[in-house]
Amino acid sequence: MNWNLFVTELVAGITHGSVYALIALGYSMVYGILKLLNFAHGDVYMVGAFIGYGLITVFGGAEALSINIVLLLVLMFVCAMLGGGLLGVMIERFAYRRLRAAPRIAPLITALGVSFFLENAAQLVLGAQFQSYNSFGWKGGELWTKGFTLPAQVHVGIAQVIVVVGAVVLMVFLTVFVQRTQTGKAMRATSFDREAAAMMGIDVDRVIVVTFFIGSALAGAAGVFNGIAYQQVWPYMGFQAGLFAFIAAVIGGIGNLPGAVLGGLTIGLAESFAIGYLSSTFQAAIVFAILIVVLIVRPSGLLGRAAVQKV
Amino acid sequence: MVKRILPIAGLAAVVALAVVATAVARPNAVRSADAASSCKKGVSIGMLAPITGPAASIGGDQLHWAQFYVSQWNKVRGHVKLKLVQQDTQLDPSKASTTSQALASNKSIMGVIGPAGSDEVQAVAPILRKAGLAFASGSATRVSLTNGAYKGYFFRDVPNDSVQGPTAANYMFAKLGVKSGSSVMVVDDQESYSTGLADIVGQFLAGKGVKVDRESISQKDTDFSSLVAKVTSATKVVYLPFQLSSQAQLFTQQLKAQGKSAVTFGSDGTFDQSKFNVSGSYISFFAPDVTTIPADAAVVKAFHRQFPGATSPFGAPNYVLAQMYANAVTKACKDNKITRAEVRKDFAKVSLPKTILGTPIRFTAKGDLAGAKFHVFKIVNGKYQTVQ
Repeated sequence: MNWNLFVTELVAGITHGSVYALIALGYSMVYGILKLLNFAHGDVYMVGAFIGYGLITVFGGAEALSINIVLLLVLMFVCAMLGGGLLGVMIERFAYRRLRAAPRIAPLITALGVSFFLENAAQLVLGAQFQSYNSFGWKGGELWTKGFTLPAQVHVGIAQVIVVVGAVVLMVFLTVFVQRTQTGKAMRATSFDREAAAMMGIDVDRVIVVTFFIGSALAGAAGVFNGIAYQQVWPYMGFQAGLFAFIAAVIGGIGNLPGAVLGGLTIGLAESFAIGYLSSTFQAAIVFAILIVVLIVRPSGLLGRAAVQKV
Repeated sequence: MVKRILPIAGLAAVVALAVVATAVARPNAVRSADAASSCKKGVSIGMLAPITGPAASIGGDQLHWAQFYVSQWNKVRGHVKLKLVQQDTQLDPSKASTTSQALASNKSIMGVIGPAGSDEVQAVAPILRKAGLAFASGSATRVSLTNGAYKGYFFRDVPNDSVQGPTAANYMFAKLGVKSGSSVMVVDDQESYSTGLADIVGQFLAGKGVKVDRESISQKDTDFSSLVAKVTSATKVVYLPFQLSSQAQLFTQQLKAQGKSAVTFGSDGTFDQSKFNVSGSYISFFAPDVTTIPADAAVVKAFHRQFPGATSPFGAPNYVLAQMYANAVTKACKDNKITRAEVRKDFAKVSLPKTILGTPIRFTAKGDLAGAKFHVFKIVNGKYQTVQ
C-alpha cells in the first residue's frame, strides 16, 4: 500500500472538509431555526474571502506584506467574520423577514435571488478576474515551507494547520455557545418550536438575527480559510462551495450541528479519496452518489432526527 | 350551443394566426439573409463573447480589442463605418445559441466575431449558417470545428489543437527528459477545449511508449492537493491544458508545496503572465504576447489608453478578426451595397501580410489559419521567455 498517498489524501480531505463543515454549520443553523434553505449562504462565504483578500492588498500584496503574518491573519478573520455576520443579518432583515409567514417556496426563491444579486454585485464592484491570496508568497512562503512531517513523509504546512485548527476552534466555540449560554438555549428552543419559544418570552426576532450573524460569520471565516489554503477568490466561488456544503449539511442531518461537521468531513474525505484511488473525473459524481445512498438509508441524514408529524 | 362554438372558433383563430405568422415570417427570414443593405450609414458586425460569467476576463479582453480596432478604423476619413454589436455568451453554449439568434435576425449584421469557446461554436454554427453569416473565432481551437460542416461560414485566426498538442508533446521529448517508459500526468478541466487537447497530447505520448496518467478537474476546483499526491517521482511532466491560467498557477504551487519535482506545462488557455508565473514551468501559445513585441508597442500603448488595465493574449486575435472584417466590408461595399453572402465570400479571401500577431494571416479553404505555428515559452523569474 502507498502510505504516502493515503496520508496525503487524508490530510487533504480533512483540510477541505473543515471548510465545508464551517459553511455547512451556517446552513444547518438557519435551517434549524427558520426551516429555510439559505442559498445565499455560499455567497456570504465569497464576501468573507474577498474581505480577506482586500486586507492583503491593503497591506502591500502577497509578496510585499508590510505587516506581521499573525497580525494579518487575526485582522482577516475578525474583519471577514464581522463583515460576513453583518451581511447575513442584512440579508435576513431585508430579504427574509417579511416572508416568514409566506409559503416556504417564497423565501427559497428569494434566497436564490439574493445569491444571484450578491454574485453579480461582486462582479460589478470587484471585477470578474480570479484573485489570489498567494499565501505561497507571504514572507518567503513560510506558511507552506514550515510545518511538520507526518508518517509516510507527508509534509503538513502551517497553512493547512491554520485551517484545521481554526475550524475546530470555531466549532468548539459554537458548541459551547449553543449548549451553555442563554442565547444558545434560546436558539435551541426556537429551533424546537418557534411559537412555543415566543410564548415563553424568548425574543424570536433577536434569536434569528443572532443565528444569521453567527452562521454568516462562520461562512466569512471559511472564506478566509479557503483563501489561505486554496488561494483563489472570485465572485462565483460561493456556488460550488455552497452546494457541497449544503450536501454536507443534508448528509449530516440538516438542522443538526454535529451532523454538519460530520457531513463536511465526509464530503471532504470522499472527494480526496475518490481522486486518489478512483477517478478525478468522477469526484462530483461520487459525492452525489454518497448523498443518494445516505438519503436512501437514512432519509434524515447521519445524525438527523426523523421529523415528528403533528396531527 | 355558444359554449360548443367558442372553443372551436378559438382553435380556428389560433390555427389561422399560426398560418399567417408562418407565411409572413418565412419570406422575412429568407430576405434577412439575402437582402442588400446600404453601406452609407455604416455596417454592423456582431460579437459573441463571454462578457460576464466565469470567463469574463477573457471575454472582456476579446471585446475590448475588437472595439479598439473598430474605433481606430472609424477614425479614418473615407472608411465605411463599422459598428460592433455585442452579445454576451457567458461561455455557455445555450446562452450563445440564444444570443446568436438575436444577431441572425438582425438584418444589419453582416458578419460575426466569436464565439470564444469550441462548444459555443458548435452551438451557434447551425443558426449563423442558416442566416448566411460568416463567423470567426479568435480562440476556439477544437480540430473538428473546421471539418467541413461549416466550410465557408466558420473561420478562425488561431491554430487548432492538432498543431498545439504535438508541439507540446515533441518539446517534452526534446527538452524535458520525457522518453519511452517515463510518466506524464495529463489533466483536463472537463471543458471541450481542454479534453480535446488532453486527448491529443495523451494519445501522442502513449504512442511513443510514455505512461500517461489521465486526470480531470473542474474549473471551479481550487484544491488540487489530492491530485498532486498522485504525481510520483517517475512523473516528468504534468500537462495542464486549462482555460483558466489561475488554476495552472494553483496546481503548480500545490505541486511545489508537496515537494514534487515534475515540471508543469500549460497550454494557450493558461497563457497569462500575471496569473501563471511559477518559474520553471512551460507553456505553449498560438502567438507571441503582443505586449512583448517591439513592433506592436504603439498599438498596445493606444489600446491601454482606451482600455486601461491588464490585457491577456486572448484579445489580440479579435483585433485581427475585426481588421479582416474591415477589409471584407470595404471590398463588399464598392457598390455602396452589401450582403452577408458578399462579406462571407470576401472575408474568406482576406490576406493580411502583416498583423499585430507577428505573422501574416489568411485562411485555408477549410477556414483554418494558414501556416499555423505554436510557440513554447519557459517561465523564468515570473516572465515568459520564448524557447521555441
